[in-house]
Formats: sequence, structure tokens, C-alpha cells
Amino acid sequence: MITPQNVIRHELIGLSVRVADSSNPRQIGIEGTIVDETRNMLVIMTREGQKRIQKRYATFDLRLPDDTRVRVDGSILVMQPEKRTGMRIRKLR
Amino acid sequence: MAARSQHPNRRKIAMERIETLFAEAERVHAEHPAWSDRYVERALAIAMRTRVRIPRALRRRYCRRCHAYLVFGKNARVRIHGGKVVVTCLACGYQRRYRVVKPDNGE
Repeated sequence: MITPQNVIRHELIGLSVRVADSSNPRQIGIEGTIVDETRNMLVIMTREGQKRIQKRYATFDLRLPDDTRVRVDGSILVMQPEKRTGMRIRKLR
Repeated sequence: MAARSQHPNRRKIAMERIETLFAEAERVHAEHPAWSDRYVERALAIAMRTRVRIPRALRRRYCRRCHAYLVFGKNARVRIHGGKVVVTCLACGYQRRYRVVKPDNGE
């Protein structure tokens, strides 16, 4: 199960997101489904098309399948997606 | 191996990630087949890194050679030939043969 405790180690593809904060003000509020992930970017499918958001400078509100919402600081997601599983002693929140 | 810090649940999480990736690949395939293939690559990367075996049912849903996500009847041909199930990947032409065994219901 994907929980707020293990989101950062879990699969993000398929989740709904909203960009809660970003150093680029035009990115704030972008909403959609995560369709791809690279080391530094999340690709979000929105109504207006695909948006590529840098993880490092943004904060994401993720909606998990059980409808709980988690706010994740994008900078801790900066890592190859397959490396996220397994690594890391938890940081803040 | 021991030197790297490992999360105790990593294999369980890895398995869940592989399953969600395949589920997403299935869901998205009709509209974006390229994404499905990408998700297969992601799943394989996770499996390799965490040394988790991909379940047999899922292992047969992608092409061994080109890693395309296979939807039988759409981009894969399934035929019985000489007592074997022959799955042809229509993207690269690779044929995979599976024997038919009674207690084995992996398709």
C-alpha cells in the first residue's frame, strides 16, 4: 500500500498532483496526473497538455489512491525513480 | 551490499511499484502505447535494482527483446503451434514459445 510514510519510496506514475509551490510562479496550481518521471522532472498530464516540472524547485500535493493527500517537497524526490525504493533514512515530516 | 543503507520494506514496495506500473501500462495503452513501453522499462529497472522477480503473469505481458508492453490481439499475436503457445511481438517480430502444462495456469 502506498501511504504518506512511503510515498517518497513508492511509484508516482498514475497519481494526481497539484503543484503547491514553485520558484516559477506560473507553475503553481498546475494540476493533473503524473505520466512520467525522470531524475529531475515530473511529467504531468493536464487538461492543457503535458507539463514538465522540475522536482527540485517545487512542492507537490499528491493525492494517493485512498484519497489521502500528502504534501511533498520536490527536492527530496530528486533521484532516479528506481533508486528511490530502498534508500534513505526518513527526513522531515 | 551491506554498506549501502537499505530500507527494510524495499522489496515489498518494489513489488507494489512493479504492479502499479503494469496496471498503468494496461490502462494507458489504448491511448498512449509509448507510455506503456516506458512503464515496462521503469518496472524492469526497479526489478533489477531491487532484485525482485517480476511475477510470471506480468513477465509474459512484455516483449523479451524490445520490452514493448504486449496486448494480446493488438500488438501481439497468440497462436497454438505444435503444442506450444507462440506469442509474436508485432513491434519487433520476436516469437516467444511457452509450453502448455496442466498445473500451470500462467496463460
